[in-house]
Amino acid sequence: MNFSFSEDQTLLRNSVRAALDEQCKSAHVRAMMEDERGYGDSLWGEMAKLGWLGLPFPEEQGGAGLGLVELALVLEEMGRAAYPGPYFASVVLAGLGLQAGGSAAQKEKWLPAIASGQARGTAALLEDTLDWDPASIATTATKAGTGWTLDGVKRFVPWAHVADVALVPARAPEGVSLFLVDPRAAGVTLTPMVGIDLANRWSEMRLQGVAVPADALVGPAGGATSLLEALLRRAAVGASAEMLGAARRCLDMSVGYVKVREQFGQLIGSFQAIRHRCAEMLLEVEKAHAAVYYAAWALTAGAEDAAMAASVCKSFVSEAARTVCGDAIQVHGGIGFTWEYDLHLYFKRAKALEPLYGDAAHHRELIVRGVAASA
Amino acid sequence: MDLNYTAEDVAFRKQVRTWLEQNMPRQIRNLEERKAWHRKLYEGGYLGMGWPKEYGGQGARPMEQAIVADEMARAGAPAPTNGLGVGIVGPTIVVHGTDAQKRRYLRRILTAEEMWCQLYSEPNAGSDLAALRTAAEDKGDHFQVNGQKIWTSGGAIADWGLLLARTDPGVAKHKGISCFLIDMRQPGVDVRPLKQITGSSEFCEVFMTNARVEKENVIGRLGEGWGIAQTTLGYERGGRALARITTYAGQYKHLMNAARRLKRNGRPILDDAVTRQKLGRIWADLEVERYGALRVLTMLERGEHPGAGGSLTKLSYSEFEKRFMELAEEILGPYGQLTDGVPPEFRLEVDTAVGDHGTWAYAFLWSRAGTIYAGSSEIQKNVIGERILGLPKESRADRVGGIR
Repeated sequence: MNFSFSEDQTLLRNSVRAALDEQCKSAHVRAMMEDERGYGDSLWGEMAKLGWLGLPFPEEQGGAGLGLVELALVLEEMGRAAYPGPYFASVVLAGLGLQAGGSAAQKEKWLPAIASGQARGTAALLEDTLDWDPASIATTATKAGTGWTLDGVKRFVPWAHVADVALVPARAPEGVSLFLVDPRAAGVTLTPMVGIDLANRWSEMRLQGVAVPADALVGPAGGATSLLEALLRRAAVGASAEMLGAARRCLDMSVGYVKVREQFGQLIGSFQAIRHRCAEMLLEVEKAHAAVYYAAWALTAGAEDAAMAASVCKSFVSEAARTVCGDAIQVHGGIGFTWEYDLHLYFKRAKALEPLYGDAAHHRELIVRGVAASA
Repeated sequence: MDLNYTAEDVAFRKQVRTWLEQNMPRQIRNLEERKAWHRKLYEGGYLGMGWPKEYGGQGARPMEQAIVADEMARAGAPAPTNGLGVGIVGPTIVVHGTDAQKRRYLRRILTAEEMWCQLYSEPNAGSDLAALRTAAEDKGDHFQVNGQKIWTSGGAIADWGLLLARTDPGVAKHKGISCFLIDMRQPGVDVRPLKQITGSSEFCEVFMTNARVEKENVIGRLGEGWGIAQTTLGYERGGRALARITTYAGQYKHLMNAARRLKRNGRPILDDAVTRQKLGRIWADLEVERYGALRVLTMLERGEHPGAGGSLTKLSYSEFEKRFMELAEEILGPYGQLTDGVPPEFRLEVDTAVGDHGTWAYAFLWSRAGTIYAGSSEIQKNVIGERILGLPKESRADRVGGIR
């Protein structure tokens, strides 16, 4: 039993933080918020060079062969920096999805390309009803010759506008199936969906008679449900890691601020109303840390309670991060409500991820089903 | 990071489970039976586990201590007794006591031959413990003690007490306090049970009128009492970390079964979406408490001291327990308030923190204590703010001067 980071994991964290402190300052985030594409080549290249883009992939596919704990460490740092770019979409959604369900040829084609930064991927997991349950998927896949034709509308597809490949679930006659789709293919229309977190990008993806070949099918036809559920769990924990980073950043900024801000002739951090709030924020952040890394470990280790841990993690961290980041604005007062001050970058990152890959209510329902089945 | 238990710990857990199956009493009817069970645990090597071997303990690792307590919670084993003696007084004597004190007291704490209480809080010194006024006056060959203590856990059955009393009223309040061992079985000590909102009396009031403390029963030096009380080193710190969660989980499953049986608007409450959300939140909170406990155990296993981090743990579980019990009451309705005549399916068979009070009503009422005792939630937040986050201290009116 050892719930602490190894020396290598600590080194990884330090190197990620150092690189992001250097190359992903808030000025960079703000520049990318106004950039048409939304991310910078030099940081992307640096991330490839440092091995982050292939972190969880096997070494034979250009990866580092590490687990979700290490991936969560990287994502936490990205949340802390409000990193703008398709890392999560490419490595977590497309990368882990392909790694879990792709054929040897699909992995060989895409994983080394993702790891080297040459290709970017994403996944189109959500439709208009916002139900994360794979059973709700309405996009259709009909047989056309040896291949398939896809029709439907996907919403909130992250970084689709820069993606070379998207994992797209659709309902085939055999049941819910997963396909690889080129977002630039004929029949695919992308429309930007601009949220409050401008350092993150989403698109609506409209599929109208999109033809995909037989080898675009990931896993067996009709067999995508368990693959999607497993991917959603990993995405939920990954998003939680990013929210944790955003929350920790907000806590650090708040503690720093209340140690220098004076009102009524005193540092406001000496007031119990402020101090107690900061103590509560720390408690939430520490619990979120435990929830994220427990779940990341459990999924990697294939622990018996891995699915439960992922739902515990996402339901807990979604609300903890929202509370902590919101409290940070409150503790700062007016300055925290200004565009120039950086706090809103992290507040918005946490908020943007809160409903994704299952919001707290979605995961609480899964939790109750799990406990009820065993009690 | 590896959250699997080691093969060694798994084997130890199995050994404890087997031992409990073979030795656990069915029922504890009185203090004598509880003491007998306590001694059996001690002789089996499952009590005072964290104490150094030279003082009769097992020198066990924190994880082993946690496993024993956890298995006891799982089995619904009765609690041993003399918890403050084993958890606080003994370790204090080990660290700060003289050789003579160690020889005289330690073993009898472990065997529960002598029962101990802690005489700290006073009617006007609760959160502000250092404002205590009980006085110990140097009478040449002994100290004479006058004053009143309150919230003395186990006072009625205690043979000895660990006492904080003021020996110098002329100096700043934290500096005039000393620590003593006081004989509770003397005419000058009057112990009165304090009836709590639970209707039971786990706590007492203690009135000391010209009570006597021998000179050799000072712990540390005069004036060092506050520091000793602050640094009280529990050897049993790993102890309840997991057991607490196991107890909650057992209670939770009882609650879920009740929610299957109870109905609202014609449907089982367990099928109600709002209730399911609340149940899901509490289970998530409970699991997060468990992860936190594993984190603390990791630190302890590495020989690190959580320090003020203990305030995070205490704040967290005590507030959780309150939320949990409020949800239980909401689901159980009036069944949750029954103290007698409880239908079997709505009983709570899990051992609570302080005894075998098998009702939800008792557990609910008791949950109000956790956020007050051993430093209220407000005090814990002050500690977290000052010692972990390094926030500036508040300006206080009592930082200087004496206490007269």
